Amino acid sequence: MTAPGLRPGEIVLRDATRSFSIRADQARTFKGLLLGARADGPPPVPALRGVTLHIEPGETVGMVGRNGAGKTSTLRVLAGIVPLQSGEAASGGRMVSLLELGSGFSRDFSGRENIYLQGALYGFTKAQIDARIERIIAFSELGDFIEVPVKTYSAGMFLRLGFSIAAFLDADVLLIDEILAVGDEGFQRKCLRRISEQIAGGTTVVLVSHDARAIERVCERVIVLDAGRVVFDGPTAEGLLHYHQLMGTEHGGGESIRAGAARAIEVADVELRDGAGRAGTVFRTGAPLQIAVVLRERTPVPHPELALEIRSGEGHRVFSTVTELTKASTRIVFEIPSLALLGGDYDVSLAAGEPGVDPDADRTLRFSVATEAGAGGIVDLRGSWRELEPARVAP
Amino acid sequence: MFSYRYLFSQLVRRELRQKYKGSALGVLWYLVNPLVLMGAYTLMFGFVLNVQGASRPHPYPIFLIIGIVVWTFFAQSLLSAAPSLIEQGGLVRKARFPREVIPGSAVMVQFITFTALLVLVTPIALALRGSLSPSLLLLPVFVVLLFAFTLGCALVIAVLHAHFRDIAPIVAAALLPWFFITPIFFVANQLPPVQSHPFLGTLLDWVNPIAPFMLAIRSVLFYGRAPELGQVIYMVVAAAVVLTLGRAVFARMQGELAVIV
Repeated sequence: MTAPGLRPGEIVLRDATRSFSIRADQARTFKGLLLGARADGPPPVPALRGVTLHIEPGETVGMVGRNGAGKTSTLRVLAGIVPLQSGEAASGGRMVSLLELGSGFSRDFSGRENIYLQGALYGFTKAQIDARIERIIAFSELGDFIEVPVKTYSAGMFLRLGFSIAAFLDADVLLIDEILAVGDEGFQRKCLRRISEQIAGGTTVVLVSHDARAIERVCERVIVLDAGRVVFDGPTAEGLLHYHQLMGTEHGGGESIRAGAARAIEVADVELRDGAGRAGTVFRTGAPLQIAVVLRERTPVPHPELALEIRSGEGHRVFSTVTELTKASTRIVFEIPSLALLGGDYDVSLAAGEPGVDPDADRTLRFSVATEAGAGGIVDLRGSWRELEPARVAP
Repeated sequence: MFSYRYLFSQLVRRELRQKYKGSALGVLWYLVNPLVLMGAYTLMFGFVLNVQGASRPHPYPIFLIIGIVVWTFFAQSLLSAAPSLIEQGGLVRKARFPREVIPGSAVMVQFITFTALLVLVTPIALALRGSLSPSLLLLPVFVVLLFAFTLGCALVIAVLHAHFRDIAPIVAAALLPWFFITPIFFVANQLPPVQSHPFLGTLLDWVNPIAPFMLAIRSVLFYGRAPELGQVIYMVVAAAVVLTLGRAVFARMQGELAVIV
């Protein structure tokens, strides 16, 4: 519950430690108790190992990490739903969490009735919910479905209702766990807009997501969790880089395939930079992008070349180019003045060697482009619409 | 706890409506079952088994239904509270509200039907007896004490069942013989074995914790006289002890609920 001495929206975790038993049936039976039988199965999994965090009121924090890193556990601890085994967790003000989509809904009751139940669950009174219900219903876009039992709802409709309730109860702290992914692009954008409104109103937002784009758009601070520990806590751009590196090592070098030792010219380092020269992995359409490469020669090659290829997340080749190198050991930059790629994930592959070198042979790096409204696909063709004179249109 | 009053009322209303949603009689079904039981027991205990023969309290159906109504409240409260935390797991995993509201609302649902039945039965009992006694004013007090006692039991059973899934079947099994030793369809000291062994009557009326509640409520409703002082003291102490104990056990064991339900 609200801790004394904390301002509304403030969150403090001190040395938080929590592990979970991962047996399918958590509850003990009398038999087990009476016979003193030890539970079968693997030992408890530590979800949080001495996590210390301080989140100020009005901060927007993204929490990333691989599956099982402790993100959802941290949210549950923050929400006060799961107690710690040691350490301390406290938050100030009213907290609303969007954790399990659709859970806690009464299937036989209408959307409207469920709004009241959910509001009550967070400690709101009927009058407080009455004051908000019209905005909740309007935002959910459920229309007449609001009077229909929620057992008839689709996953997307549950998300609409769940998000609308959480976003319009005016909490001091809003916890969101990886659920925006269910909605369509349009509703996702609308959710992000609503979240930014709440941020402007001073709400503290903690968002758990695997979606670097959502984190980048919403959060000013990123916490990277790995194996129950905070491995990074700082600005978003740096945090996402850290996260991508973490995921890169996870895939056994899938993001940077090193075969350098056997190669005549090794791509020793690749860095993606924005217009200001800062390293990053998330970029914007229309903004500059630089691919900086460091090459190291191991054995002489007569006519060395550097091959570069960019592929979409689905593996389609978007662009490739080859350049002749004057020196084999060098630093070289591929400069894109205005990125024509639209929102999505992309891989950039580089390799150097004799003419005809396969760009896939040495290094691959993944980067993301933030989604913008108003265009779809992978390439921004920079076109614009122009209306013709009405008189010229044939009747 | 106070700020979650609305949640409590939401849960109670939801439960009341959900059970018989879509049925023609709706919430009236809550009243039908005890009335059917009254008819069946009158036939069985009154005429077929002829319990207590000529010394049977008169009118026997009214004597019976008071016992049935009290017993139904107690038994159904425990039976519905036991799995309540697991059934409402979605709520428990979602937010940090006081978990007591879940078994509490299960008991409250039964309490509402219980009071509705009492309101129905009381004027009939009074009309048949043809007298009004001031002891009737004690009825609300006894009813509240019974509620507190039952709530205490329900809290313990609900939180224990969440941890040990054997509790609900144990409770269900225990309630069956418990029904037969509770003075619902008999007056203990008028049973033949009790008349030859009086200590059996003491056992039936005092060791069984629900018996004093049953006897006191029947005393004011059926006989129109105040119960023995001993029974009143027993009820006050039992209600206070069980409710305090129930809340303490619940508070101690509720921490892991979101993980285990």
